[in-house]
Amino acid sequence: MKKTMIAGAVGAILAFGAGSALAAAPADWSKVAAKDITLFYPGVSPLEWIQKGTEHGGARALKKGETCADCHDEEAADMGKKMASGQKIEPSPIAGKAAFIPVKVQAAHDGANLYLRFSWKQPAASGAAKMDDKNPVKIAFMLESGGKVELADQAGCWATCHQDSRTMPGAADTKTKYVKGASLAEGKFYDLYQWRSGEKKGFDGHVAESRVMEGGTALVSAEGKQDGDTWTVVFTRKFAGGQGDVALEAGKTYNFGFAIHDDSAAGRFHHVSLGYKLGIDAQADVTAAKQ
Amino acid sequence: MARLRRPSTKYSLGGLLSVGILLGVLFWGGFNTVLEATNTETFCISCHEMEQNVYMEYKETIHYNNRTGVRATCPDCHVPKDWTHKMIRKVQASREVWGKLTGTIDTREKFEAKRLTLARSEWARMKASDSRECRNCHSFESMKPEMQKQRARKQHEMAIEDKMTCIDCHKGIAHHKPEGMTEEDEE
Repeated sequence: MKKTMIAGAVGAILAFGAGSALAAAPADWSKVAAKDITLFYPGVSPLEWIQKGTEHGGARALKKGETCADCHDEEAADMGKKMASGQKIEPSPIAGKAAFIPVKVQAAHDGANLYLRFSWKQPAASGAAKMDDKNPVKIAFMLESGGKVELADQAGCWATCHQDSRTMPGAADTKTKYVKGASLAEGKFYDLYQWRSGEKKGFDGHVAESRVMEGGTALVSAEGKQDGDTWTVVFTRKFAGGQGDVALEAGKTYNFGFAIHDDSAAGRFHHVSLGYKLGIDAQADVTAAKQ
Repeated sequence: MARLRRPSTKYSLGGLLSVGILLGVLFWGGFNTVLEATNTETFCISCHEMEQNVYMEYKETIHYNNRTGVRATCPDCHVPKDWTHKMIRKVQASREVWGKLTGTIDTREKFEAKRLTLARSEWARMKASDSRECRNCHSFESMKPEMQKQRARKQHEMAIEDKMTCIDCHKGIAHHKPEGMTEEDEE
């Protein structure tokens, strides 16, 4: 009996040891394939706007089931220029605001954890008043599983972005991002992760009826650094998680989008990606292969 | 009346025929000359209603100035090229003369108040003719999708698939879109 217990304990220790030895970010990120994704300044283009045919010529395509990236992937920088300059759907342009940010996205996993690495060059500062004086830079990504949220398969983060969300023209300051028909139990939500440069802290939240920045249990760490003018942020999250976390599985793909609040921005004054797919050992826009 | 029916005893058949042909040519030529004179941009913008509103907007667009130096003027888009459809359109357009005389859009305010109705009627005409005037210059057959931007390529692929017509999407391509358009206008 005693022997069995000892053997069991040794086994458990060994298993734990082996597990933690496996759970490590890639030692050399330069060997991990990188996907270039251009984030762009989105102006005032909430979910309601993209579906409005009188405003957005692609509303018809969206109705037909096309994704935003199908049409706009190659022109993200040009779109950013139009909106950052106020030429289109930006009633209050910020002089000198970066129009777009090219980002390298890398992903890997070890069977238990997903590692996501983002790197980009710091754009020139606009010199405008700081909206978030604590954090010069914030980066966030969202995951959605199964396209349960309406338009999640096509429109990425736009499914959470509404015309009445805070910082939109005329919107209340209390209203955050949300999804239509939200239900954590039914999986109708976006899992949200953020890293803030000033607070040097990672957040694991979600977007359901409203956006919450805490409550998730999947995030292991979020670490960022600035090397010269290059930012690098690595998120580590467990495959499993609690309520408000999308559970990950090898062989599956997930809706994936991310955004950077550059230049001490807040709210909608960020740079966003179109909706992409993240695959865990599965072919996708960004694929996390097992290390 | 009786004189019109009575054979001539005074003029030779040859003379009568020659005079008839000459008058016919003069009349026909004159008619067509006048018709064509109304088919020019100069004629269209001789009315301030056109010159100060839609023309100004058109001047900012690619149909006015472009890389290759081809210009589509008002009648290129708004008057059919072939005779039959042109005549039908011209007869319809005589109503616009009445509009001009009674001043239905003689101020900016009146024009803005009516532009959605006017635009809708022109969109309906273009839709009914499968964008015939657009297709005088443009066609899916001569389009090279690989030379288009991703967005245009995608949209044109869908348009071919769904048998759509140019004006379905290209409203407001040469003039500002009117205020108050509904989702139905875009369908």
